[in-house]
Amino acid sequence: MTSTACASVAGDRLAGFLVRFLLIATVLFLVIPIAISGILSFDDREFIGPFPPTAFSLRWYRSFFENPSYISGLFVSLRLALLSAVISTVVGAGAAFALAETRWRARGLVEILFLSPRFIPTVVIGFSMLGFASAIHIFDAFTRLVMGHVVITIPFTVRATLAGLVGVRRGLSEAAISLGAPPWRAFLDATLPLARTGIIAGALMAFALSFDEVAVSIFLTDAFTQTLPIALVAEMRANLNLTVAAVATVFAIIAMLIVAVLDRVAGLDAIIGRGMYRE
Amino acid sequence: MSMSVLRRVLLSPGLLILAVLVVAPITLMALESLRPFVGGRAGGTTGWTLRNYTELTQPAYAYYFWDTFRIGFIASAAALLLATPLAWQAARTTQPALRVLIFGLLISLLFMSLIAKLYAIQMTFGPTGPFAALGTLIGVPARSPQYAQVQVFIGLLHFVLPLATLMMIGTFQNISPRLEEAASSLGAPRWSVALSVTLPLAVPGLLAAFMIVFAACISNFVVPLILGRGVVLFATNLMYTRFSDIADYPSGAAIGVIMLVLAGTMVYAMTAIVRRLVPADVQR
Repeated sequence: MTSTACASVAGDRLAGFLVRFLLIATVLFLVIPIAISGILSFDDREFIGPFPPTAFSLRWYRSFFENPSYISGLFVSLRLALLSAVISTVVGAGAAFALAETRWRARGLVEILFLSPRFIPTVVIGFSMLGFASAIHIFDAFTRLVMGHVVITIPFTVRATLAGLVGVRRGLSEAAISLGAPPWRAFLDATLPLARTGIIAGALMAFALSFDEVAVSIFLTDAFTQTLPIALVAEMRANLNLTVAAVATVFAIIAMLIVAVLDRVAGLDAIIGRGMYRE
Repeated sequence: MSMSVLRRVLLSPGLLILAVLVVAPITLMALESLRPFVGGRAGGTTGWTLRNYTELTQPAYAYYFWDTFRIGFIASAAALLLATPLAWQAARTTQPALRVLIFGLLISLLFMSLIAKLYAIQMTFGPTGPFAALGTLIGVPARSPQYAQVQVFIGLLHFVLPLATLMMIGTFQNISPRLEEAASSLGAPRWSVALSVTLPLAVPGLLAAFMIVFAACISNFVVPLILGRGVVLFATNLMYTRFSDIADYPSGAAIGVIMLVLAGTMVYAMTAIVRRLVPADVQR
């Protein structure tokens, strides 16, 4: 073996080692904090002591259920996320169908319009929605919250449905129509079932996004209608206690369950796609 | 009902919502930003002024924007660097189980509550956490005020890493492995193939990922709110403080308009860069 070949093998080894090291460090960086807060959520101590805990209990999970502001926040958040997800899924999926079927030149522009709320900083949406709501005399916090959350979730439902429709042949509904089906029938029987995965993914994203939202909600809540994230943020800023660790752990488990369901329903591989060069 | 009528029926609720709930509020905000601030009153003032904007050019305020961009930039660059090996592994591995594992991790993190993640980071890297010594290691003790910057950096990095990795998986998957194989079979070492073949092809994707991640960082609100401990305030937090602490709605509106313009400029720059770097036939 020549010396240059030796050098290149050594270089490869070194590069491979570096890449592997970086990869493992990244995964650990992503996972360790969540594991630590998971372990701390079972801490039996009354104060936040050094890690690891010396005794374990479920006291912080109990304390969550004993805190009325968390419980009422949880219900507000669930109602809000459900309602916003339903509205934005219906509206967004409808718009995506219309966009996928059209061939006009304005299509790109309208698509950008629907995705535009994603590029607006969420604080700006919350702030401007508050001014707008009071200008049109809407003072009910829950109504304001729904307005704000529909706006921020629509891009996701439009995007996910459009992505789901890529696999659906564009001419399919036209074929059904040319065979004599009325357009609404073609839509219900041909397009809708095929786009199901995209719609479900979009609805899930909308729900998750709304359920965890802070920047819009912080402007639109009031003293009587608080969402769970806003209650949690207030708690975290006031004093650190481990009730939030319990909530965080539950959230982490829910996220993993959602992903497990997504994998079952659609397959993670299919959601992300394998790219042009893999079959 | 013809096709075009159906199309209109499907499109109109969305367009109506966008017009009423996005365009109208933002127009109103832009008008409000030109109103003088009268203490104790929200809206309803008369007259026009540019004072809300000129006020923000003062060094004290410019500093918030500088902090936002500086920490956001460092976090985005770090995210791209750390995401590369992970995305590469996911895109090129031949083991389906490993692929699904990486995907599962990334998507779980995307779905996981940001508040939960930030809390976990505070418990891990915060002054009471087991990794607090990290601060001393890099010369910023965990109890010092400057450590808030480190924590905001860690929080942003954790927040955007899954996003960056998923976008880069897409980029790497769309680079033909044949090109790398060809270079390798001609005797090039793998690290040199990565630098001279793969990297240049990935540049447009990397730039697009960087811009999206950077935009997500500088428009973030929750990370500095929770991890900034009042020491690090982003422009978003400044906007909220203007509204919540002194009820200065016009000034908050002016900050909002500036952020909107910045966000628009970034999107424009991003599309321009991608359009310039990627040949037209690949885009479609």
